[in-house]
Amino acid sequence: MSSREENRGCERSVDAAPYVLGALADAEGYRQHLGECASCRAEVAELQQVVDTLPASVPAIRAPEALRERVLATVRSEAELLKAAHSPAADAPPRAGRRRPLRVSLLGAGLAIAAAAAAAVAITVGLRSSTQVHVRTAQIAANIPGAHASLRLRSGHAELVVSGMPQPPLGDIYEVWLARSPSTVQPTDALFGVTNTGSGSVNVPGDLHGVQQVMVTREPRGGSSHPTSPPLLRVTL
Amino acid sequence: MELVAGADADAFEVILERHADAAFSLAYRMCGRRSLAEDVAQESFLSLWRSATRFDRARGSVRTWTLGIVHNRAIDALRRSSVHDRRRAGDDAIERELEAPERTDVQAMSNAASEEIRVALDELPTEQRHVIELAYFGGFTHTEIASMLDTPIGTVKGRMRLGLEKLRGHLGGWQAVGA
Repeated sequence: MSSREENRGCERSVDAAPYVLGALADAEGYRQHLGECASCRAEVAELQQVVDTLPASVPAIRAPEALRERVLATVRSEAELLKAAHSPAADAPPRAGRRRPLRVSLLGAGLAIAAAAAAAVAITVGLRSSTQVHVRTAQIAANIPGAHASLRLRSGHAELVVSGMPQPPLGDIYEVWLARSPSTVQPTDALFGVTNTGSGSVNVPGDLHGVQQVMVTREPRGGSSHPTSPPLLRVTL
Repeated sequence: MELVAGADADAFEVILERHADAAFSLAYRMCGRRSLAEDVAQESFLSLWRSATRFDRARGSVRTWTLGIVHNRAIDALRRSSVHDRRRAGDDAIERELEAPERTDVQAMSNAASEEIRVALDELPTEQRHVIELAYFGGFTHTEIASMLDTPIGTVKGRMRLGLEKLRGHLGGWQAVGA
């Protein structure tokens, strides 16, 4: 029996096609449903194979040489840093594989948050009559008291801007997480470092609908699928 | 990819060479602007480099994973842009809008599988192809599409599903190009 036949009884099966096309408005809700519904998972898996072929229908255009050069320059620079991090002379100890996940509820953890930044402040800045930027200030962990961070929300786009952040140890990187509940912390592919002066910014990808907090932790390079260290900053939405 | 996950820049360069054109082509098809497509492709490859340890071959090829990242990044970019730009990107006539110098870059894809997919898309009923293109290439949500087309949401979802199922029937056992 195909998944379509098995799936006739599930009223959410109609969401499988828009979901795999990236068009389902409540994608997060359906993602949670997929955790409980085997027939919808099978339907999604079948339709996903079809969607994965769609890029091949696009007229092929050669990528600009400058694009390749920019990407490679960044990659080679970061590879050099990592090489240094793993050399015997480096101060930072070599790291093998990913850390074990931190077994705490991140939202419920008794984090020491700097008193000065304890209250998240939301302000709205009107840039033009038609465009507004909502800025939410982050709560900062006590062990990085000089840091400041804010989330800039504009037209559904979110950008995290940090300053005064310590550079992560060689081999580590900052990772952005989306917390939808105290027990549901979702990784993103937003990984970032900071400049010598501690400044940095990163686009927060994905749908923030239903997200309670945006958090940042320090993770091994490449990121983690579960947080392995306490949050350094949290922005409450 | 194991080498890339181990921070091997030379291995990454091989991945970049192999998939840069496909990634840029998809980004350009979705964004409709060369500068934005470059930004999307650049962000995508750097994301791939920094999160290579998350690659799981059991869930698809490197190309599928790469283009999935590009698609998500492009959707994020499109949803930050105006509806006008997105409508343009969702138009299947985008190729005709390319400026003359860029048209010289457009290469005929000799890959038989690619031709097969284009034919399969073309053979879909117009209303099914339209909702699939608006969703996948235009970055519109199903509710936005329903509003744009003045069509019930359930009808839009149904057309998406029927269209994808017909494509599956057309394509048989063909799957996304691996690498």
